[in-house]
Amino acid sequence: MSKHHVIIGGGPAATNAVETIRQMGDAGDRITLVSDEPAHSRMALPYWLCGSIPREHTHTGDEDYFSRLNVDARIGARATALDTQKNTVSLDNGDTLDYDNVLIATGSSPLDPPIPGTDLPGVQPMWSLAHTQLALDTADGMDQPRVALVGAGFIGFIVLNAMFKRGWKLSVVEREGQVLPRMLDAASASFVESWLGSQNVDVHTGTTVTEIQAAGGGSKVVQLSDGSSIEADLVIIATGIRANVGLVDGSGIDVDQAILVNNRMQSSVPNVYAAGDVAQGPVLYSSQPEVHAIQPTAVDQGRVAGANMAGQDVTYPGSLLMNVVDVCGLQCASFGNWNDESAEAITISNPIENIYRKLLWTGDQITGAIFTGRPNDMGMLTDVGMVKGILQTQTPLGAWKGYLSENPFDIRRAYIAAGVAQKLTGATLLGRPTRPRGYRFGNAQPVARVNDAHALFADTRPK
Amino acid sequence: MAQSLAIIPDRCTGCVQCELACSWVQTGTFQPSKSLIRVSVFDEEASYAPYTCLQCDEAWCMTACPVNAIAIDESNGAKVVIESLCVGCHLCTIACPFGTVFTLPETDKAAKCNLCGGEPACVMACPTDAIEFVEQETAGNWFESWGERVNSKYVDAMAVENGDS
Repeated sequence: MSKHHVIIGGGPAATNAVETIRQMGDAGDRITLVSDEPAHSRMALPYWLCGSIPREHTHTGDEDYFSRLNVDARIGARATALDTQKNTVSLDNGDTLDYDNVLIATGSSPLDPPIPGTDLPGVQPMWSLAHTQLALDTADGMDQPRVALVGAGFIGFIVLNAMFKRGWKLSVVEREGQVLPRMLDAASASFVESWLGSQNVDVHTGTTVTEIQAAGGGSKVVQLSDGSSIEADLVIIATGIRANVGLVDGSGIDVDQAILVNNRMQSSVPNVYAAGDVAQGPVLYSSQPEVHAIQPTAVDQGRVAGANMAGQDVTYPGSLLMNVVDVCGLQCASFGNWNDESAEAITISNPIENIYRKLLWTGDQITGAIFTGRPNDMGMLTDVGMVKGILQTQTPLGAWKGYLSENPFDIRRAYIAAGVAQKLTGATLLGRPTRPRGYRFGNAQPVARVNDAHALFADTRPK
Repeated sequence: MAQSLAIIPDRCTGCVQCELACSWVQTGTFQPSKSLIRVSVFDEEASYAPYTCLQCDEAWCMTACPVNAIAIDESNGAKVVIESLCVGCHLCTIACPFGTVFTLPETDKAAKCNLCGGEPACVMACPTDAIEFVEQETAGNWFESWGERVNSKYVDAMAVENGDS
């Protein structure tokens, strides 16, 4: 019997679930998607902000896409209530949807810290399409907008990088004693801070914002607890996020920091699924469920949820925490339990080049890692992904631990010898090859690009 | 038909002509550091092995991409970076567990093996047939035997060094 799947949200978890249901489900199944903003990718917003892509390039679906997938897309509508007894979702436009399965992919929202002055014009988060437009409007016509970023976390730094590319004048305030406190250890963060200094980005750590005051002509003064202050035209609040769990309030669904889900992305009510930033689910390297508010987890969870909603039996091995951020030209990445103080750490660093590499070991397994470096040097270029492969496959490295202790930049030999590549060959999330994705901006087509030299080379080589 | 590059490491002499050919046709420079296939030395075998994307079934780079800038070339199954769509977020470079997606510093965009549209330059360049253009299913076959040989020789060498045997 055909089913009705209701998807609430328009981010990567939502669209990947839709595509997976269409690929693996009954052709007669109905899908309705409810999203207050157009389907888009938050990861792409900074690139619109920095001017390298148009707004529509951040979109991950349009009318044609939803019609091709036979999805009733309610864009601009918001789900206001969930009734798990009657299996209905109420929308703010008065509609009520009956569902067989519902996926909650409502994402997360920026925290609104209790700082006086956050209601001033030109003080805002940078989280949605609307926020991005607002920041661009504020900066419009200014020669070099002065920006204060409150919060030096991953999100703040993606925004920072976009504004750096714009050539804006940047200051960063972080409450903790280092930048990127949930991504880097103190030593690698100090490299980032010195790099930012060399790029003329003003960094204030270990201090908080006490008040934001209006000054003349739309400019603002950000007062800090250490007594100093920053003048800014635009203040971006990026002090953290929280899961949008409001929809399940009072429904009886188990919620901790986010909606608790099992390895099929089911909440405590089996036909209510959750995926992405709003889900707290199984993770690699911990027995406790965690929220991994990152794009790859949203995609994987959305696909696993979609497969199970479609009636397949697909289990998720758990997400691997991974972050990569370009800090004004210095690449930083971390994986897994990078901050595990009980792990044995092998660290190598070059403060002149800001290269840092830390491998964290539990027994003979790598259970976490931190990297910094310029994209074109050996610190980042060659093997960060292989470390991810080692972590993902949870491969014991045996005698190669000793080798990597002495040669942490030569991952490749250990990777091959320990059989990691072999384990990954043929491995898939859904038990079958991944299908082509459903939407590309401008309907761009995959054509393998090669230089003109290729024809010359092919024609002139000795036969 | 899904195709891929298979490696026969026993035939590799470490001449890096594949790297030169790859960097030339992909980036217009003779620069191994920009090659999308990389030759590694394996001391235990006193030999070398080139290593590049298998065009794997899961396509971790493709699923991780926030703007769908990596897509499947239907003619041969290659996972191809669409440069006009790539925003340069680097997520694919950390999502690929094979470590075969790179960032080109000049463009700040992702780059990976795209099988040269069906005529891989590295295969043409290799003087000893150490790289073959094959059905994708068989492309990873070399990992097991090569990995085991490298591993056992290293473990034995360490045992000797540690006086265990």
